[in-house]
Amino acid sequence: MKKVDKETLKLAAQHLMFEMSDEEYESLLADFDSIISKMKILGEIEGIDDVEPMTFPFDVTNSYLREDIAGEPLTREDALKNAKDIHNGMIGLPRVVK
Amino acid sequence: MELRAIIGLEIHVEMNTKSKMFSDAPVSFGQLPNTQVSAFDMSFPGTMPTVNKQAVINAIRVSNALNMTIDNVLMFDRKNYFYSDLPKGYQITQYFRPIGRNGCLTFNSGDENITINIERLHLEEDTCKQFHVDDFSYLDFNRAGIPVIEIVTKPEFKSGQEVRKFVELIRSIVVFLDVSHGKMEEGNIRVDLNVSLEDDNKRWSKVEIKNLNSLSNIEKAINYEVNRQKDLVIKGKTIGRETRRYDETNDRTVMLRIKTDSVDYRYFTDPNIPPIKLSDEFIKNAIDTSPELAHVKQKKYKTLGLSDYDANLITNSKETCAYFEKGLETGCSPKTLANWINIQVQKVLKLKCISINEFSISAKELGELILLVEEHKINNSQAKSVFNEAVETGNSVIDVINKNKTNHILDENEILDLIKEIINSNQNLVNDYKNGKEKVVGYIVGLVMSKTQRKADPSLTNKLTVVELRRR
Repeated sequence: MKKVDKETLKLAAQHLMFEMSDEEYESLLADFDSIISKMKILGEIEGIDDVEPMTFPFDVTNSYLREDIAGEPLTREDALKNAKDIHNGMIGLPRVVK
Repeated sequence: MELRAIIGLEIHVEMNTKSKMFSDAPVSFGQLPNTQVSAFDMSFPGTMPTVNKQAVINAIRVSNALNMTIDNVLMFDRKNYFYSDLPKGYQITQYFRPIGRNGCLTFNSGDENITINIERLHLEEDTCKQFHVDDFSYLDFNRAGIPVIEIVTKPEFKSGQEVRKFVELIRSIVVFLDVSHGKMEEGNIRVDLNVSLEDDNKRWSKVEIKNLNSLSNIEKAINYEVNRQKDLVIKGKTIGRETRRYDETNDRTVMLRIKTDSVDYRYFTDPNIPPIKLSDEFIKNAIDTSPELAHVKQKKYKTLGLSDYDANLITNSKETCAYFEKGLETGCSPKTLANWINIQVQKVLKLKCISINEFSISAKELGELILLVEEHKINNSQAKSVFNEAVETGNSVIDVINKNKTNHILDENEILDLIKEIINSNQNLVNDYKNGKEKVVGYIVGLVMSKTQRKADPSLTNKLTVVELRRR
């Protein structure tokens, strides 16, 4: 398993576009150490490599599909409530393409 | 050294469902920005996706039309990326288990039948629409979340013409299946191309051309790009792995960005949508209730007596098929109705730049007008006059007939009386006819038409004249 060090976390933070303090990195590293050591224990279980990877904790499926009926949309005021810059009913932001 | 083009496609088809892929916000085009959105489409925290049943049915129908294997478990994955067109930070798509796999489609290009293999068909949500003006970008979320199917072919096309024919066929399939409006100019169908060259020993880097939304631009973009790449190879230059766009004004492709390492979208199964089991019955029902495709209708129309040519013209558009089928309900001759639609109606549509749905004469009215001719109640030239007047004035066919009293066409007895009167007053006509002068028939028909101000049916008059002359 790839070692998670401060550089790995810094790269991840950069990809996710947020900054963290040194203390936060230390705390997160400690968390990772704990998680990885638990993973190691799981890895020692006999026959674990033969188990299909799971996405959900329980092997269940359902058959529910929503009927194609249009509901009431949000009012424009509600939809744009959190937007900083509104221009002609659209959310404005610094140009994202050259 | 023969350089050959190899082209693969990714076709995005925006559906015409009533609600969005994962929310019940309405799908309605041409509305004010940000008025067709739900909390989920805006990625408000705590909102959860629910899968649109009709979108799944549509995907099954298209997969079936493309001869694909349909997965009976529906699973969705997150494609993670950070960009303003999707505020969740990921797009819900089907990366690991597309609903359709391993299909193929055979079509005619030039003089040959070509079969193209189709790798996958998956369901996903559309992104929001971005407008870039000066230093700003503006976001309209009405499009965000509209159901989309993406069809990915194997790189097996050899020319722009083949690709164009294929996309035309895909368009016809999704329109006839009522999956999409299929309006390429409005972005309902968007095509990304992967174009590369190969010879017997080598395959060069592939270039992606994104977001083509017209059939002619697809063909032109491929022709330009293939020539550009051939030119580079001949000059010994490198073909870069890059993404380009088609510049319509200057008929060329322009580089957007160089492809470095492929982007890692960190795909993983969406934990908010547990696997959905599609029963055999559900899949079968979606297929069995599927609307007819163009080629099925063509076959059906030919059994009604239409020529290949007429059947092809009618099935060029789903709306024309609907008009034709509605007209048939009147009981008129299918062949005559097809002729009227393909000639008279199409002429008016072209002239007025309208679709058949906007045409003022309904299919029922046209069918009934044709019936009047078939029942010899009016003649063909009168029917055309009525048709033209109804088109010009916007009045109903029946109003035009009543106004002009063209419905007061002479019946068989009235015509026969006139024929007898003409023959009685000129016995020579009978003698001439019996001596082999067949022109006499045309002469008598002409007199009847003139005496009735063309209110008699010429073919009926002709028939009655011959019978009467022979009887004498």
